[in-house]
Amino acid sequence: MAISRRSFLKGSGLAAASSLVAPAPLGNPFVRQAFADTIGDRYFLMIYLGGGNDGCNTVIPVDNGGATMRAAYDAARSTGAGGINISPAALTNTSIGTDPATGCQLALHPALLGMKQLYDLGKVAVVQGCGYSRASLSHEESRISWETGAPPNMGSGTGWVGRYLAANYGGSEIPGVCLRSEVAGEMRQNATSVLAARRLRSLRFPYDQDFDDDATLKRAAFLGLYGGATAASLPIAEYLGTSGTATLLATESYSGLHDLYVQGRATYNQAYDDLDLGLGRNLREAAKVIYGIAMGVPNVHARVMEVSTGGYDTHSDQGGAQTDGRHFELLSELGNSLKLFYDDCADMGVADKLCVMVWSEFGRRVIQNDGGTDHGTQYPVFVVGGGVQGGVYGRHPNINPSALSDDGNTVYSQDPSDPFRSTDMRDVYGTILKHWLGMPQSSILGNVLALDSGDPTVRWTTENFDMGFLV
Amino acid sequence: MGNANSVLTESETRHLMRRAGFGATPKELAKLVKRGLTRGQLVDGLLKYKPKPLKVSKKDEMDEVYDRWLESMLTTKTPLLEKLTLFWHDHFATANASVQNSEQMAHQNSLLRLMSKGNFRELLKRINKDPAMMDFLDTVRNRRKTPNENYARELMELFTLGVEDETGAANYAQEDIVQIARSFTGWRLDDKDVAVFRGNSHDFNVDFPERGPKVIFKTHGGFGPAGIDLAIYGEGAIEIDYVIDVMLAHHDTQGQSTVGRRITRRMFEFFASADPSTALVDQLLAASGFAVSWDIAAVVKTILVHDAFYATAAPPPYEAGTKKSVKWPIDYVVSTLRLLGIKPKRRKYSGLAIADSDSLRSHLDDMGQQLFDPPSVFGWDWEGAWISSATLLARFRFARDLAAARVKGTQGFHPEKLMSLTLQAPDAILNAASNVLGLADQLSATDRTFLIDYLTDGGALPALDLNNVDVRNRKLHGLFALLLQSPAYQLH
Repeated sequence: MAISRRSFLKGSGLAAASSLVAPAPLGNPFVRQAFADTIGDRYFLMIYLGGGNDGCNTVIPVDNGGATMRAAYDAARSTGAGGINISPAALTNTSIGTDPATGCQLALHPALLGMKQLYDLGKVAVVQGCGYSRASLSHEESRISWETGAPPNMGSGTGWVGRYLAANYGGSEIPGVCLRSEVAGEMRQNATSVLAARRLRSLRFPYDQDFDDDATLKRAAFLGLYGGATAASLPIAEYLGTSGTATLLATESYSGLHDLYVQGRATYNQAYDDLDLGLGRNLREAAKVIYGIAMGVPNVHARVMEVSTGGYDTHSDQGGAQTDGRHFELLSELGNSLKLFYDDCADMGVADKLCVMVWSEFGRRVIQNDGGTDHGTQYPVFVVGGGVQGGVYGRHPNINPSALSDDGNTVYSQDPSDPFRSTDMRDVYGTILKHWLGMPQSSILGNVLALDSGDPTVRWTTENFDMGFLV
Repeated sequence: MGNANSVLTESETRHLMRRAGFGATPKELAKLVKRGLTRGQLVDGLLKYKPKPLKVSKKDEMDEVYDRWLESMLTTKTPLLEKLTLFWHDHFATANASVQNSEQMAHQNSLLRLMSKGNFRELLKRINKDPAMMDFLDTVRNRRKTPNENYARELMELFTLGVEDETGAANYAQEDIVQIARSFTGWRLDDKDVAVFRGNSHDFNVDFPERGPKVIFKTHGGFGPAGIDLAIYGEGAIEIDYVIDVMLAHHDTQGQSTVGRRITRRMFEFFASADPSTALVDQLLAASGFAVSWDIAAVVKTILVHDAFYATAAPPPYEAGTKKSVKWPIDYVVSTLRLLGIKPKRRKYSGLAIADSDSLRSHLDDMGQQLFDPPSVFGWDWEGAWISSATLLARFRFARDLAAARVKGTQGFHPEKLMSLTLQAPDAILNAASNVLGLADQLSATDRTFLIDYLTDGGALPALDLNNVDVRNRKLHGLFALLLQSPAYQLH
């Protein structure tokens, strides 16, 4: 395994790190970062779409190709009042590649214009048909499967990114930040601290302002109490101890990032305000961290980040191509927010150091139910970033009525001869871990992702960590 | 080994009041200890409450309903009613973010109150027809031909059976969800928000109810290969009551009552600590007779007199296997205000708050718990999930705001009313302050060293004159802030 940043710092002395403190000119400030840990000077950001994103209306067959893709789509989703069918005519501006298996022309939902612009720049990998075996239709259970990187009840409770962090970082470091009020399941583990903060601006330790001169003593007592808890033989107290300690230290290192960004990135800061979208504001917090690192703020080293949004549980009022539909608004928020964030990073000179993965707990039922869709299975994941090889990867799930399961969902398959073979979520994770986070294949299989056992046509028994969207 | 007849120690009494209520002040505790009560006697006393609906006014918006529940918790003399209502609110999690109807949300809260210690079968049957729930999980949007599976799934997964039993075996199949969803077709709310089976309506036969048999549990639940037909006693309104009877008759792969085990486990986790063994769950279930009577009070009492409950009161240093639980934000806020004798007031714009601080609702939201708006139908994630840098900072801010509330009247923090100011020795001051917060036996020796170092400026002040306003404002208020922020106070 490549040298972790922790051992690098130990070996070279902290002076090496503190020499980075001096502000660097913008342009390409990251070249000077000599960290030799597995992620190096890169960033990995996850965007979670809470509720289950309707994959069938995210990447849509425009024609039949060599099969009956469009016909199957039209049979499942109705036009007219309450219909969620999106016509080929509405898809002309968001056309992407073709499906590798059926050859049908694919298009993004018309709301995903921002994503389409990034796709045209070659920065978006559309990874079709992502799922896992024995898929659950429960929000919680399926979300946990995606977070832990294991089918239901096969996970350890720790997140797949958390296990990567635990293998590479130590207890006092904060290698990850979740830009929400709780630690995301993907990042969960007890070996190192992950910061959770909805807004960096309000990240400040609350001392009593009437007695500022007493704060140093309070700080010492606080660190003593939480340090003591870290040593307790009670796991929950130990976790509380680590979290409390890291929280106090983080308030000291991260709190200045907001002002720094607002002053140094005024144009983009204003652009997020003008965009006025929740996901955009959340992504701006990630941009603040990236900018802080670029400016060499001490003790700010997070390379892995998580941002979440919700509302995707479109059982009703989902809408089709009309701009006031629920799904339209959600996807438009996703595409436009991500486009602005990408532009912000490109302007900071770090677009090539950025990899963003957009996921959800499941897709939705192929056949429309009332004005919406019930819980489903496979769906497309987006991987976006300057280092991404754009294009269409994986195969569109088989949406022909005769191919659906009894409950009306697309079926997970790992059969190599199946033209509709699914993409296992762990092949997406493994490709990112191997080609972006620099983890050797053996270490990924040993520390992060465990192969399924059983029938190789319906279980994930052979890995493919070279999907090609990252090289 | 103790039981319902064991006389409570001071430490056990404090723990019981902390977990079955919002803590006892030193005065309240002394009174209880003096009576020499047994576990059973005090638990019976706590359970003796007369359930009353939440007092709301027709005009109340959601924030006002929320504040009324907070006020009820802050002032109640029957705290177990409030604790059980919280438990059921989490169990039957319904979010106003989706329902958008404060009257229905208040109505559901009153239902949970009235049924809080009653019969679980009856509670489930009433939840089936609860207006807020019917809206939240789409029963009112459930129609023939396209049965909406939302309520059917959550009824099994969350309200009754759980996805899997104690051995990890599945408790139901997807087909069961579909059939139950068919049973729930035809239900709507009338113009007075009362659940009705639309028997006389024009579109009844065309649109609403699914006719014909609805057979479930052919492969799960111990009903045999024929399963159970939900429509066997007739179609329509009777079906959704019968669904509940069938759920309660479900047996897991070990032949045990699936719902009995699950609710007992959940209750133990709520009052005591996470992950009780199957053996303990079965012992509690058998002793309470819950799987026969479905009497909620019986299972509550069985837990609260059991040794496994009192084991979570253990002081540090913890022995291997000791368990504690992370206080819910609502517990942290309500018990702190009660123990410190601070009485928030309603302000015109922000609602219930203490001087110079954000509303209690806003504090709670930052801590990760907004009542009437659980994050999803799963309710809140407990234990470690309450802890993150963001939610810890919210607790620390609330603690700071209380300790710094140096204003006159009941909205301020007045330690002089809680302990003697004649104390001078740092050790005695720490004892008195930690006793106010019910932490007297929960601080480790090293915790005490750090706190005394703080009090004495690292040993520079061997004695403190608390009658001196500056010393008191600085050090005693500061000590309370640290105690409220301490790891020990986050646990119970």
